[in-house]
Amino acid sequence: MTRLTGAVIALAFFTPLVFGILGSVIPAFGLMPQIAAGNGFAELFADPRFLPSIWLSLKTGIIATVIALLLTIATLVCAHGTRLWKFLIASLPPLLAVPHAALAVGLIFLIAPSGWLVRLISPGLSGWSRPPTDWVIPDSGGWSLILGLVIKETPFLLLTAAAQLSTIKVDAALRIGRTLGYAPARCWSRLILPLLYPRLRLTLLIVLAFNLSVVDVAILLGPGNPPTFSVFLLSLVNDPGSRSVASAGALLLALGVGLVYCCVFLIERVIASVAESRRESGHRGTAMKTFRTFGQSVIASIQIISIASLVLLLVWSFTHRWRFPHSLPTEWTLNHWNGRSAEFASPLLTTLGIAVVTLLLAIAAAVAWLECERRMRVPRIDWLWYVPLLIPQVTLLFGWQAIALLTGADGKWLTVVYSHWVYALPYVVLLLAVAWRELDPNWNNAAAVLGAGYWKVLFKVRIPLLIKPICQAAAVALAVSVAQYLPTLLLGAGRHQTLAIELVTSFSGVDRRIIATLAALQSLLPLLAFCAALWMPRMINRHAA
Amino acid sequence: MNSLKIERLSLTLPDGTALCSDLSFSINPGGVLALMGPSGSGKSTILSWITGTLSPGIRASGEVWLGNNRLTDLPAEKRQLGLMLQQDYLFPHMSVGQNLKFGLRGGNKQHRDKRVSESLTEAGLQGMINRDPITLSGGQRARVSLLRTLLSDPHALLLDEPFSRLDVTLREQIRNFTWNHAQHLPTLLVTHDKADVPVHAETVELVPPQTIQPEISLSTIDSTQSR
Repeated sequence: MTRLTGAVIALAFFTPLVFGILGSVIPAFGLMPQIAAGNGFAELFADPRFLPSIWLSLKTGIIATVIALLLTIATLVCAHGTRLWKFLIASLPPLLAVPHAALAVGLIFLIAPSGWLVRLISPGLSGWSRPPTDWVIPDSGGWSLILGLVIKETPFLLLTAAAQLSTIKVDAALRIGRTLGYAPARCWSRLILPLLYPRLRLTLLIVLAFNLSVVDVAILLGPGNPPTFSVFLLSLVNDPGSRSVASAGALLLALGVGLVYCCVFLIERVIASVAESRRESGHRGTAMKTFRTFGQSVIASIQIISIASLVLLLVWSFTHRWRFPHSLPTEWTLNHWNGRSAEFASPLLTTLGIAVVTLLLAIAAAVAWLECERRMRVPRIDWLWYVPLLIPQVTLLFGWQAIALLTGADGKWLTVVYSHWVYALPYVVLLLAVAWRELDPNWNNAAAVLGAGYWKVLFKVRIPLLIKPICQAAAVALAVSVAQYLPTLLLGAGRHQTLAIELVTSFSGVDRRIIATLAALQSLLPLLAFCAALWMPRMINRHAA
Repeated sequence: MNSLKIERLSLTLPDGTALCSDLSFSINPGGVLALMGPSGSGKSTILSWITGTLSPGIRASGEVWLGNNRLTDLPAEKRQLGLMLQQDYLFPHMSVGQNLKFGLRGGNKQHRDKRVSESLTEAGLQGMINRDPITLSGGQRARVSLLRTLLSDPHALLLDEPFSRLDVTLREQIRNFTWNHAQHLPTLLVTHDKADVPVHAETVELVPPQTIQPEISLSTIDSTQSR
C-alpha cells in the first residue's frame, strides 16, 4: 500500500461531500440555471408549510435525542452490572441491525388503534369491539415519530457507551467512589459520566443530525400536514420547478443542524460548570432503590417494544385472517412469502446486489486505509470519517443529485453504490480501526523473518487474524446499505427499486400483510448477515486448521 | 476507633470452586493484618467482599463487623472503609485538590479548602492543589491517593497491593508514609511481597483453590482456617 492509495481513498470519500455541499449551495442561489432557476430562499420563506415543518422537525428531533440520551444514562446508572445489562448488551446488536423503516412499520402494527396493544386489552379491558377512533398513527403532534426514533437510536447510543466503558475503568471508579461513601448514582454523575460524555459526544451529534433530518421514518411515522422539514423538502425536490427552493431548504437545514450543535456545546459548558461546583461539595447522595427499579422497568419496556415490533412484522407476514379484536391471527398462511416470491425477487436482488458490492468496496477501502495509516504513518483522522453522518442526508444528497443531473450520472447503478459506500465506509473504518491498530506488530515481524513478503503477510497473517472484526464490519456495511432510502431514491432516479424504496413508497396503499412481509424481508437481510459474521470466522479458521 | 472483625467467611466462585471457608480474623485499631498468597488465592476477592463490592456470581457467607456495628448487609457506600488499590485511580477529570475534596466528608467550603491544603502540606505536596494528576510522579500520585482515602474519614483501611506498581526506592518511602498515616486504624493489607508487611503485622497465608489444606501462619485472635 502506498500513500497514493490512501490519497485515492480520501479523495473518493471526501470529494462527494464537497460536491454535495456545493450542489446544494449553488442551486439555492439560482446559480445553476440548467436544473434550478431563481433564488429559492424567498419562495421558501413564503411557503405556509415552512415554519410549521421546521418547528415539527426541531420538536421531534430534539425531544427524541434528549429522551434517547436520558434513557442511555438511566440504563447505565440503573442496569450496569445487572442481569438486565447482560440481556441488553446481547440483544442490542440485532436490534441495531434492523432497518429504521422496518422497525417503524412494526411499531405502527403495535401502537396503532388497531394494533396489537389495543387488541391485547380488547374487548375485555377496554370494551372496544372495533378499533378506537380517539387517536391515529401517525399523530399530528409527531409523538409516534419521537417514539420510533427513540427506540431505534437508544440502542445505538447505548452500544457506543458500553464500548467506551472499558476505556474509563468504570468498575474501579465505582468501587473507589462507593468506598469513599458515594451512592452509586452519585458515582456515575460525579466520576463516570464526565469521562464518558466526551467519548459519546460525536455519536450523540450523529443521532441528533439523523433525528432532525430523517426522511423514511418521518414518512411512515410522522404527520403529513405539515410534514417534517426534510419530508417537505423531498416533496419540493421532486417538483422540477421547485428545485432551487428545495436546495435553499436543504442549506437552511444544514445551518439549523449546525446551530443546534452550537446549542449542545453551550449546554454542555453550563452543565459542566454546574457539575464541577457540585462535585466539590462532597455530598454523598442517597441510594434510591425505587428510582433504580423504575429506570430498569422503563428500559426493559423500550426493549420489549422493539422486540414486539419485530415479532409483529413476522406474525403479520404469515397472517391470512386477523380481525379486530383478536389478539392473534385466526388463520395463518405462507402465501405472502411463497405466492409473491417473484414480486419480491426483483427488489430483493437489487438490494442484495447493491449491498454486497458496497460492503466489498467498503471493506477493501477500510483495509487499504488502515494499512496506509500503519505503514506510511498517515495521520489518524477518525473524526473526519464522521462528517457525512454529521451533515443532514437531505443536504448532501440534494447536492449530489444536482451534480449527478449535470454530469448525467443520475440513475446509474454505480452512482447508487457510490452513495451507499460513502455512508457505509465510516462505520467500517471505525469498527475495524480498533482491532487493526491493536494487533500485535510482532505477528508481522514473525511472518517477515520467515521470508513472507508484504502481500503474503497481509493476506495470510494479518487478515486471517482479524477475520472476526472484518466479518462484523462487513455485516454492518450490509445493514447500512440495506437501510438506505434517500440515496437510492434521489440518485437512482426511480430505476433501482430496493426493499427500502418499495417499503416506504407502497406503505400507505398496500395490504398490511404485504407491507409486513416486505419489512420482515428487509430486516432479515442484516440479521442473516450478522449470523454469517458470527459463523464465517469459525468456518474459515476451521478450514485453515 | 473500633476493631475490624471478619467471622466465618466462605467464598465460592461461580464454577463451584471454594476460595476460602470459615475464615475469621480480627484487627485492632493500629494493627495490621497481611493477607498473603499467590495470584488466584482469593486475596482481592476477600477485600471486595469486605468493602461490599463483590462481583455478582460469587457466593459469599459470613459476617463483617466494625466494633459493634454489623456491616455485612450495608451497601459499600455506608461501610466507611477506606480502600486503596494497586493503581491509584486519581480521577483524571479532577485536579489534585478536587480529587481530595471528593474524598473529604462534610464541612463548608472554607473548612474543606483548609483541610485539603493542610493535608497536602503535611504530605509534602504543597502548591500542587491545582495540578492535573497526570503531571504528578508515581510517588506523588500514591500519596494523593492515600490522602483522598484518609480524608473520607474511614474506620478501617483496606490496601490491595498498593505498593506493587512502585519502583523499589519509592516503595519504601510510600510504605512509611502509609503506615505513619494509618497508625490509628485497623488495616488489612493484601500483598504477595513479604517486604510490604510491617514488622508488627499479623499474617494470614492463603493458598490457591484445588490444593491441599493450607498451613496457616496465623496469630490473630480467633482465626480458624483460610479455606
